[in-house]
Amino acid sequence: MTDYAVRITRLNYTYPDGTKALEGIDLDVRCGERIAVVGPSGAGKSTLLLHLNGILPGNGAVRVMGMSMEPSNLRQIRKQVGLLFQDPNDQLFCPTVFEDVAFGPLNLGVAQDEVPRRVEKALLDSGLDYPIRSRSSHHLSLGERRRVSLATVLAMEPAILGMDEPTSNLDPRNRRHLIEVISGLKATLIIATHDLELVLDVCPRTVLMDHGRTWADGETRSMLADSELMERHGLEVPLSLRSGARM
Amino acid sequence: MRHSFIDRYAGLDSPLHLLEARTKLLAFTGLIVGVLCVPAGQGSLFFVYFFATAILMGVSQVPLAYIVGRTLLILPFIVLAGLAVPWKGYLGLSVLFLRAILCLMLLILLTNTTRFVELLRGLRKLGCPQILVMNLSFLYRYVFVLTEETMRMKQARDCRRVSRARFREEIKLLSSMLGTLLIRSFERAERMHFAMLSRAYEGDLPVVSPRRFSFRDVAFLAGVGLFIYLTFLMG
Repeated sequence: MTDYAVRITRLNYTYPDGTKALEGIDLDVRCGERIAVVGPSGAGKSTLLLHLNGILPGNGAVRVMGMSMEPSNLRQIRKQVGLLFQDPNDQLFCPTVFEDVAFGPLNLGVAQDEVPRRVEKALLDSGLDYPIRSRSSHHLSLGERRRVSLATVLAMEPAILGMDEPTSNLDPRNRRHLIEVISGLKATLIIATHDLELVLDVCPRTVLMDHGRTWADGETRSMLADSELMERHGLEVPLSLRSGARM
Repeated sequence: MRHSFIDRYAGLDSPLHLLEARTKLLAFTGLIVGVLCVPAGQGSLFFVYFFATAILMGVSQVPLAYIVGRTLLILPFIVLAGLAVPWKGYLGLSVLFLRAILCLMLLILLTNTTRFVELLRGLRKLGCPQILVMNLSFLYRYVFVLTEETMRMKQARDCRRVSRARFREEIKLLSSMLGTLLIRSFERAERMHFAMLSRAYEGDLPVVSPRRFSFRDVAFLAGVGLFIYLTFLMG
């Protein structure tokens, strides 16, 4: 088995309208690593995530758990890579929570009588109670919807989890709760976010993206504290690092 | 925001609610076909059907006012449709009305004694094509999202204008709002599709096994079947 969960070399992607979204991305992620992908809006973070399981077909090599991105590998790759989308309304398309969480396992061919157990475990792991399964997604709060979205991915027991802005629009309590849930996950994490405090909490390594390229890749704390680098790419040094420097 | 457009009372637990979705689908379809087959001259048979529907409504515990209100809400559309049918005298028109009212009441009763999800599962188990059932479930899921998006857009519009514009401007505004909504829905559909693919969707989804038929279901179906058969004999 390979040490690398994801190996990306010279990945390019241009949207059908001609917009260059990714230009020569190189990224290696080891199994069990937790990395953050930060950068201004439109940097290509979400586009990069969509390459992790072959949703978007870019030029260049993407290998996931040693498998190359070929049609014959897609099923295996999608089993290994879970993606959490930014808007839960995109992710939760079934009439009830149960069906949404069961959607992935059913597609993977998990046995019918095993499915409820998977759903229950995924909901518990996402910090939810099992009774939520019979509720309709449109009756849930945003915090609950985010966690149910996470459950829909966890139910597939992925080795790699890609998350797109997991904490955006959440109130402080829900945000804190979600960060705790994320911290407890065992999968390899790749988190695209603007929430730099989340990054400091969860990810020891950070990749900085801007204009479809990677500009920095290294230890989180020192990178986020580099005010010149941060400002050049439309970001700012997180408050916790700034006040620490002043004291 | 809380919505329940379609299955507001589906959460009750009357004997009718407890039946399996497939039972109700078959029974109500049977009844509707029965209503449609009543010959125009047989006024008394309509009353038999009204009586049967009334009994079902009584058993279901769904408020009468709700069913009547919903029926009246949809009736104008039937009237419009009725205008398109060749004129067959007042008798023809009243028969059309009677049939429409009965069918509507039965449908409202069906959707309010069965959760929409169960109904979809029943349809699927009865052999309805998956793509159709899936689209219905998306409709049910996203009608609320769409409603909320429309409301937010309307609020944003109202915040930026003081008085109503002229009719032409108003129409222009409305059409551009509709266009925006269409594009947003289109984009959402694409993202949804990505989300489905990410969860290993390959075009076919197995259904979780539903509840089994019980003795109650068989008895109910037999009763309804017998009733329909008798009305055919009378007609």
